[in-house]
Amino acid sequence: MVSGAIALAFLPLLLTLIIRYRYYFVLFYRAVLVRIWKDCVTGLSREERAYQYVLTHSIPGDPDSILDAFDYWCNKVEYISNIGPKKGKILDRILMEQSPLTVLELGAHCGYSTVRIARALPLGARLYSIEMDQTNAAIAEKILRLAGFDDDTVELIVNPSDEVIPRLRSDYNLERVDFVFMDHWKKCYLPDLQMLEECGLLGKGSVILADNVLFPGAPKFLRYIRKSGLYEWKIHRAMLEYSKGIRDGMAELVFQGIK
Amino acid sequence: MSFIGDEQFEGGNKEKRHREKRRDGSKDRRKRANAKRRERSRADRENEEFEERLVKREKGRRGRVKNDQEAKKREQEEGAGAQVKSGKTAKVKKNIKNEKRRMSEKAGEAGERTEKGKKRVESAKKETATVKHGTRDKTREERKKKRKKVFETSSEHKTSEQDSEDKENSEDKEVKPESLSPDELEKLKEAVDEKKKLIQSLRGKPWPMKKKLVTLRESQQFLEKYEGALGKGKGRKLYAYKVMMTKKWMKFQRDFENFKTACIPWEMKIKEIESHFGSSVASYFIFLRWMYGINMILFGLTFGLVMVPEALMGRPYGSIPRKTVPRAEEASAMDFAVLWDFGGYAQYSVLFYGFYSNQRAIGWLKFRMPLSYFLVGVGTVAYSYMVVIRTMARNANESGVGDDNSFNFSWKMFTSWDYLIGNPETADNKFASITTCFKEAILEEQESRKDDNIHLTRFLRVLANFLVLCCLAGSGYLIYFVVRRSQKFALDGFENHTWWERNEVNMVMSLLGMFCPMLFDVISTLENYHPRVALQWQLGRIFALFLGNLYTFIIALMDEINVKREEEKIVKFNITMWEASLYNGTVSENFTASPITIHPADVPRGPCWETMVGQEFVRLIISDTMTTYITLLIGDFLRAVLVRFLNHCWCWDLEAGFPSYSEFDVSGNVLGLIFNQGMIWMGAFYAPCLPALNVLRLHVSMYLQCWAVMCCNVPQERVFKASGSNNFYMAMLLVILFLSTLPAIYTIVTIPPSFDCGPFSGKNRMFDVIRETLESDFPAWFSKVFSYASNPGLVLPFILLMVLAIYYLQSTSKSYKEANVELKKKLQMQNEENKKKNKKAAQKALMDLEEARKVALESAGHQRNNNASFQGQEARDREMEQATRVPRPSNHMSHRTPGYLPNFPLQSEAMIRRAPSLQRH
Repeated sequence: MVSGAIALAFLPLLLTLIIRYRYYFVLFYRAVLVRIWKDCVTGLSREERAYQYVLTHSIPGDPDSILDAFDYWCNKVEYISNIGPKKGKILDRILMEQSPLTVLELGAHCGYSTVRIARALPLGARLYSIEMDQTNAAIAEKILRLAGFDDDTVELIVNPSDEVIPRLRSDYNLERVDFVFMDHWKKCYLPDLQMLEECGLLGKGSVILADNVLFPGAPKFLRYIRKSGLYEWKIHRAMLEYSKGIRDGMAELVFQGIK
Repeated sequence: MSFIGDEQFEGGNKEKRHREKRRDGSKDRRKRANAKRRERSRADRENEEFEERLVKREKGRRGRVKNDQEAKKREQEEGAGAQVKSGKTAKVKKNIKNEKRRMSEKAGEAGERTEKGKKRVESAKKETATVKHGTRDKTREERKKKRKKVFETSSEHKTSEQDSEDKENSEDKEVKPESLSPDELEKLKEAVDEKKKLIQSLRGKPWPMKKKLVTLRESQQFLEKYEGALGKGKGRKLYAYKVMMTKKWMKFQRDFENFKTACIPWEMKIKEIESHFGSSVASYFIFLRWMYGINMILFGLTFGLVMVPEALMGRPYGSIPRKTVPRAEEASAMDFAVLWDFGGYAQYSVLFYGFYSNQRAIGWLKFRMPLSYFLVGVGTVAYSYMVVIRTMARNANESGVGDDNSFNFSWKMFTSWDYLIGNPETADNKFASITTCFKEAILEEQESRKDDNIHLTRFLRVLANFLVLCCLAGSGYLIYFVVRRSQKFALDGFENHTWWERNEVNMVMSLLGMFCPMLFDVISTLENYHPRVALQWQLGRIFALFLGNLYTFIIALMDEINVKREEEKIVKFNITMWEASLYNGTVSENFTASPITIHPADVPRGPCWETMVGQEFVRLIISDTMTTYITLLIGDFLRAVLVRFLNHCWCWDLEAGFPSYSEFDVSGNVLGLIFNQGMIWMGAFYAPCLPALNVLRLHVSMYLQCWAVMCCNVPQERVFKASGSNNFYMAMLLVILFLSTLPAIYTIVTIPPSFDCGPFSGKNRMFDVIRETLESDFPAWFSKVFSYASNPGLVLPFILLMVLAIYYLQSTSKSYKEANVELKKKLQMQNEENKKKNKKAAQKALMDLEEARKVALESAGHQRNNNASFQGQEARDREMEQATRVPRPSNHMSHRTPGYLPNFPLQSEAMIRRAPSLQRH
């Protein structure tokens, strides 16, 4: 029988763990527990709830207000892993600098980042957004229409990314992608990147921005870009969206081609 | 001369021999080919041997080939353009056999290298120009002749021909000292001197490193070649010999230095760690090594002067009761569990105080055992004090008078890089930490100007300290509680309780010592200090925690000592009764003879509190060590293994996210070490085996921790230099030394030793052994002198004098410090003034210069006018000439004539001269 005093001696350890990883606990609560609870209570999916909120709290045709509504909902009500306002600013800046004409987005989810990108695009640019999930894609489409973007600016493709990417050249007449934004399954970052390379869609100067490379993290992806030498890369360190203490980063790669 | 191919340096001697033969007249081509082949093979061998060096050398060779061709272009009017390429390919082919690996690399770097080659050619041109002068004419003729022959006789294909030609050139270019005229020799000497100068001043040249290296190598080769060539006849040989010897001597010195470095234990390991983790982690290991050294000496003292004499010359085991396991324990005395607790046979051995007998002198050496025991006990402590204080003083000298506050940003700018970092990841971290440091410093500066957020930080700091105090109080109470409970268990008898309950005190102490620092670390993030300051706070808090724990433990021990002494009194009384019963032998019981021989195991004995204290300390050390190692294995190694291998199949990135790899905890480890040492100092008097145990522990932990750091830790995110903290460790060590000797001295002085165990048994106090020795082993006058000297009337004034001296020294040092600060201020003021003056002077000079220029232009215009008004055709011609020439001479004149430039040259000179002299003050 272990004595109580020894058990008490473990109290500091417990306290340390709780304090040190408090943000993770909070995140777990918000992203998992609250979600399950609400799913049971409302019978709607999380994305649908978000859409309802945005629909009632934003001005149609105004992307900024839609984004604000999203941010508010994710901050205060529930949690959806959008790119968030802070990392979104980095995204905006890169888009402004590059002003790409062909943009590929992997993982539209419920359209937050799609609106964000479409908002920053120059005139005549076109955004191809790939979303695997049918219901999410429907919501993303609604959000896009709500924000006032039509089919000419944003093309929403409902298919898994590994099926779409090889067909981009043939089906959508894409020669080269200027900007790729990755925010889908973290495990797919690497295969999709390699697929993009294989298809020759990346030209010199193409920018690839991958979100969430530190948390939840895409270690294989990072290892690959470190090794491959095809890219100039850097990691923009930031906090995880809608959370204060969890560090995250976005990887910005610039395709250099084979030297 | 850089015309000479590299092979010739490598195969130097052979080549020379061959050349001489040739010079004698037998210019056999086959021999030369042989020589070439031999050179080549030798070169190849060398290549294989020194791969690394050769990569560089290969570059050099290439450069030299290019060089060669460049030179040829300059010298000959033949079409050398084609040769450039062929020559290069020839060289490459030549090396192709053993350099396939490198070839690929070369291909990659070709572009870079050609650039380098060009640069090198330029530098080489400069260097070789002087020498070439002397030898060029002669060698050119010879070369021409030879080339003719080569062309006539050669049947080889073109590339090899080119190759040989290259060699030919280089061979011919070689200077033959005998054939040089004194004039040329003089020039050669000059060139050699120049090279020497170049090598010396190379460090200060504003060149890129690559160029420096190349220049250095080339000039060294040049020196090697030609230094021996100076002088004539015998003198030359002697000179060459001398040069060779100095070179050998230098090489030997360098090797010896390397050897010395290799002799420092763990130096390479620590350097490697330093390169990976920065100097703060390395400072821990250096401290550990230093500690190991001290413990070695302590171990030597106790082992050589106490344990070995007693084991060899003292009475053997089983001769007297204190050296025998009592009958009751005999059955279990050899059980591992008992031995592990340092009972049984381990308790009745030289490892503990109780084993030593109180014979005044043992063995044929008449070794004074009790005296030696006492003196060793005092000596270890005294030695430790001496070493610690001396090291502190030395460190204080080294750290100097740098004040960190006055030039915050320039300090950061120029001194923040840790040059010992050799690992890209650490360098990344360091880079990031420097940038964040800058950001923070700028923010801090802004905040200190704004002064609005300071209340929040203050509040947070107070809060953090409050939390830490709560934590400390809690842990103190827990230990107190546990100790009290263990006393209760002891009264009940330990046999009735589980292992957990028996080891509760040690367990709780170790666990608290392990987990509380973590909590402090978490709490200290509230305070937002600079990491160096945070480290010191952290150290201070852990120090308080450990100290509290240790003193609680000691207080508990004191209680136990008192209990044992009570027990001892009873036992003493019983023994007299027992003896009386034995000797008197009541008639009814037995009829034994009067000189009864009882086996020593049966003799009743006292509890011997000294051995008990020693055992407690040894157990504490052992459990502490075990906890450290187990923490290392679980907390670092197991965690690293899990993170590494579970990462493939986990839903988030384990390496970057939640558990990640652990960082090396410098403060905790240092404090663990220091407190461990404190326990050694405290317990070593009662358990002579403690230093030996500690040496063992330090040795193992050196290897284990080195391995663990390199294998499962990641560099700290905020890498910082450990510049100031070394003396901080020392100061803590000193405090701990004092605090740990305090209870030891207290027990020695106040508590009488037990009556039947240990070297001081039978004496009233332990230090009585000194008086005894003085009385019996020294002449009478000596003890008299000693008694006079120890008279309070003499001692008190002496102490007073010492205090006064210390006060005086301290006050003088303070005044020196003040003077230093004053001087520094003065220097700064002077510098500023100087700057102002210089600026003024420069402005004035600029204005004057402009004026002068104006005047000069005007005068030029005047002159031209005058010339124009001169006369005729000739004058116009001259005018043309003059018009082109006019500005220069007039400017020149304006510099020289004082009338045009009032004061300017004089003043500026004075300023220039004054400025450095002021700075030097």
